[in-house]
Amino acid sequence: MELFMQLFVTGVMLGSIFALVALGWVLIYKCSGVLNLAMGSLTMIGGYVCLGLYERFVTFMPVNSAFLVALVCTLIIGMILGLLTERIFLRKMIGEPILAVIMVTVGLSFFFKGMVFIIWDTDTQVFLPRIFSIDPIVIGGIAIGQVYLWSFIASLILMVAFVAFFKYTRWGLSMQACADDEMAALSLGVSAKFVYALAWGIAFMAAGVGGTLLGNINGLNYSVSLLGLLVLPVVVFGGLNSVPGAIVGGITIGILQNLAGGYLDRFFPGGIKEVAPFIFMVVFLLFKPYGLWGWERIERV
Amino acid sequence: MRISRSLLLVAAGILLCSMAFAAEEIKVGSINDLTGATSDVGKDAALGVRECVTYINDTGGINGKKIKLLLYDYGYRVPEAITIYKRFRDYDKIAMLLQWGTGDTEALSPTVNKDKMVTISDSLSGHLCDPAKTPYNFIYSTDYSTNARAALTVWFEEVWKKSDKWKKARESGQKPKLVCSYMFASPYSSAPIKAIKDQAKLLGIEVGKDMDVPLTALDAKSQVLAAKDENATVMWHGNTTMSVATTIKDAYSLQLGVDHIINNWGFDQNLLKMTEKAGEGAIGAASCAFLGMDVPYMDKVMEYCKKVNPEVPIEKRDIRTVQGWLKVSMAAAALGIADKKGKLDGPAIKAALESFKDWYPFNTPNALGRPGTTITDKDHRPSPVSVLYTIKDGKIVFFHQINMKEKFPDKWESWLGW
Amino acid sequence: MSYLPCGTYFESYAKDQKWWRTPFIKGKMILLVILIIAFPFLVDPQWLSIVYTINYYILAALGVQLLIGYCGQITLGHAAFVAVGAYTSAYMVLFVPWPQSFVDAGVAYPLSMICAGILAGLWSVLFGLPSARVKGFYLIMTTMAAQWITVPLIITQYVSQIGGRGQSFSLPTGTIQIGPWAIESDLEIYYFSMVLVALCLLAMGNMLRSKLGRAWVAIRDNDIAAETMGVNIVVYKLLAFFVAGFFAGIAGSFYISTLFFVSPEHYEWFYSLLWVGIILIGGVGSIQGLVFGSAFVVLVFKALELMVLGVSDIVMVSYPSLGWVTTKIIFFKESAFGLAIIFFLIYEPNGLAYRYWQLKNYFNLWPFSYTGK
Repeated sequence: MELFMQLFVTGVMLGSIFALVALGWVLIYKCSGVLNLAMGSLTMIGGYVCLGLYERFVTFMPVNSAFLVALVCTLIIGMILGLLTERIFLRKMIGEPILAVIMVTVGLSFFFKGMVFIIWDTDTQVFLPRIFSIDPIVIGGIAIGQVYLWSFIASLILMVAFVAFFKYTRWGLSMQACADDEMAALSLGVSAKFVYALAWGIAFMAAGVGGTLLGNINGLNYSVSLLGLLVLPVVVFGGLNSVPGAIVGGITIGILQNLAGGYLDRFFPGGIKEVAPFIFMVVFLLFKPYGLWGWERIERV
Repeated sequence: MRISRSLLLVAAGILLCSMAFAAEEIKVGSINDLTGATSDVGKDAALGVRECVTYINDTGGINGKKIKLLLYDYGYRVPEAITIYKRFRDYDKIAMLLQWGTGDTEALSPTVNKDKMVTISDSLSGHLCDPAKTPYNFIYSTDYSTNARAALTVWFEEVWKKSDKWKKARESGQKPKLVCSYMFASPYSSAPIKAIKDQAKLLGIEVGKDMDVPLTALDAKSQVLAAKDENATVMWHGNTTMSVATTIKDAYSLQLGVDHIINNWGFDQNLLKMTEKAGEGAIGAASCAFLGMDVPYMDKVMEYCKKVNPEVPIEKRDIRTVQGWLKVSMAAAALGIADKKGKLDGPAIKAALESFKDWYPFNTPNALGRPGTTITDKDHRPSPVSVLYTIKDGKIVFFHQINMKEKFPDKWESWLGW
Repeated sequence: MSYLPCGTYFESYAKDQKWWRTPFIKGKMILLVILIIAFPFLVDPQWLSIVYTINYYILAALGVQLLIGYCGQITLGHAAFVAVGAYTSAYMVLFVPWPQSFVDAGVAYPLSMICAGILAGLWSVLFGLPSARVKGFYLIMTTMAAQWITVPLIITQYVSQIGGRGQSFSLPTGTIQIGPWAIESDLEIYYFSMVLVALCLLAMGNMLRSKLGRAWVAIRDNDIAAETMGVNIVVYKLLAFFVAGFFAGIAGSFYISTLFFVSPEHYEWFYSLLWVGIILIGGVGSIQGLVFGSAFVVLVFKALELMVLGVSDIVMVSYPSLGWVTTKIIFFKESAFGLAIIFFLIYEPNGLAYRYWQLKNYFNLWPFSYTGK
């Protein structure tokens, strides 16, 4: 039982980071229909930007405030980068077949990767001085790393912030309108270009925070971008169009991965932990292709 | 129009420059990973290779001839490594190839052996040391299997038998238990596993179930928990620094209580930074001395770090740079011997490498912290000596050096090739 | 589509459906064949390996073009099927106890190639089954899952353990033999690849001219309408997956002969994406597009390589203290590759085949070139 609880709790913590990144992904898809395969690179950029800022600020500020300020600045820079990316690369692809746009995002991921390497090099970089202590917090026999706990809290705060943004602000409402029915929204004066740009900006922000949290767990380097692929089982499970689906999906996949790793690893010569989400995705697609909360497509001839 | 004309001029300039310096040069091709999955250590190694070549060219080259280094990045996309090798072989006509990872080394092994092109690789797998199977593959420092065996033996002798931590266990007659944590699916990680388990049997150490940890693992708690039931005493880490750090930190937070022995690609300053006090007492193998330690030629390494790549801060450079120097100094020495005899083709360079007897880089004993290298045509393992370091009080310090051939003279021969 | 030159007419349906309809095209094709045969003797040996890499990409992308361009099923996991083909072929050549007569006659490898194709086709159908229920993005997900389940899980952990030594092993020289010819050197691989490409493109083209092809195009354009007209879309979709997998298997089987080596690392996610990129760059829905796209991608890699090595050369010779430039240029290579793909897709959304078609029509329709779009 203790094993199960430990795995469960770790899964929830890690899954919250997946959920954050998936949230950004769902946003882009919901508003502009683009399957973004560059999510991993966005995560990496966010992490590196925060690291760079943190190293600057920590010279004249105490550790915790330096980190918070760096995080806020990362959000702002992420938004700007998102707006720029949409303007330069994706504005011209509006109306093109979807596969071409997917390939453009693939090209973008290479571009970002190269840029990150040029600016920050490829060495594994660590947040020094350490922000979260290495000693775990033990609650009822379950060890929770401090960094995981704070990641979970940060993800929750951000998710609540995003959901509130969508429900209660004008910009959020216009994004929802555009995602629901673009023509109708356009006829009511919502600017589609603005909505797309905003979607990318928010995705950058969400991925950026996700990257920062991941970087705190184990250092930042190229492998952080590999997380981007895990976003896909998450959104399949939750539904491609659904923001709450992304959140629930992220946490579920995190739990699933950990439980599969803990209980099933011994039966497979190479471990099942990494592939479990994808196998789950395939099985899930056969039975409930639109996810838990996705919108079902009704086609008319 | 203006733009394209100036582009044409630049292109012509490039061509002219590359042609102008074609005389009296020895071309060496180097395939490295600077942008791919192993780029965190690969970039440092590539910089080290270039710096060492610059140093050798500055100090007389190879019998007066300069080395022309063709360094390319294949991003751990193995088919690109193959394409670039074909270009090196057919167009540039390199004398020798320097390779990087297990992926490209093993993939190119049949082709390289068919073409009789000598290659020295950073993949120190024991499988590449048997000249009967891969006559043209060489490595520049003690292979993974020997290092693994050595690490386990040294742990057994120095820590298990002597430390207070295990005193109660020893006195109660408990046998130590080894658990291997590595990525099952990676040829690099899994290379020494059979050897280390054999060594455990030899020393009377029990072996528990293996733990699969992917090279890019963010979280290894599930694996650690599964291993907790095994009551292990020592854990071997076969992965690179990122995942080793994750596993050590998770083992610490779950209070697994094992000692850690780590392979050479998982043990460096980054490990120290990432694990802090969780890594205290970990023992790791290393190919040579760490950057900044007081050994002959380390000053030259530091000097050229600043000279060739001044924009990379010296604190970010590490042992991988020194490993790059090891590789190139070995290549240069072999090229020098072959060149003196007048032939610079594959078999001649191979014979030159196989004539190394107690060789040190730049012919200076203990240069770069490397024990003497002896290669024969029956055995491509450079050395039976493993140098082990440990993390003590937050610093990497020298721990122990062991000569596996002297310790197990009757077994050494049979350990070739796996 | 492309127009024939002004003034061409046919008097029978058979003549209209011929491959090479006008004497000009016949002459052009014969010249091409002569060029292909004479090519190795005209250029540097390194170009041979570039050309057979292009051929390998053509073979691999053939299946993708079929699925995406002609049948409208988006697939992002093709590397998995190529891997299945490669491993099947390698294992059959190495581990099946062929009777000596087979080995002497050099029949082992061609047989293994066909078996590889069939097995890869069946595997492809397995992952194509969801296409009966889902379309669009969800199909992309399932085919992507094909990639992630096949290569890292099944091949790396199970299949490659057969025969020991871990997940990669080499084929000793002499095992790849077709009839009396052993495929060893670059030259032989080049000719072998050319023959394979010709056969496969011919087979594909013929399939597309037939009832199969028409059914696939109907499904691509509007599958619900096609179903109402009596096309059994599930059967034809699965058939498309099978044929695509078959070609993938042949591509994989060919690839092992270029390298004498199999390893799961050669069939990564990156290659699935690359082949889809080749289709898009070359032009979706056209066979010439395949050739152009593959050539473009391989030449882009080559150009980047020349740039990196050339610049590194100049820097190290003239300005040794600028060593950092060599590292940055290597990082820039990654970005440049991404940018090349992005800008090509932004500015040439219809691909290279469209430009080629425009060029051909200019000449074919002259002096009425303005009538062709």
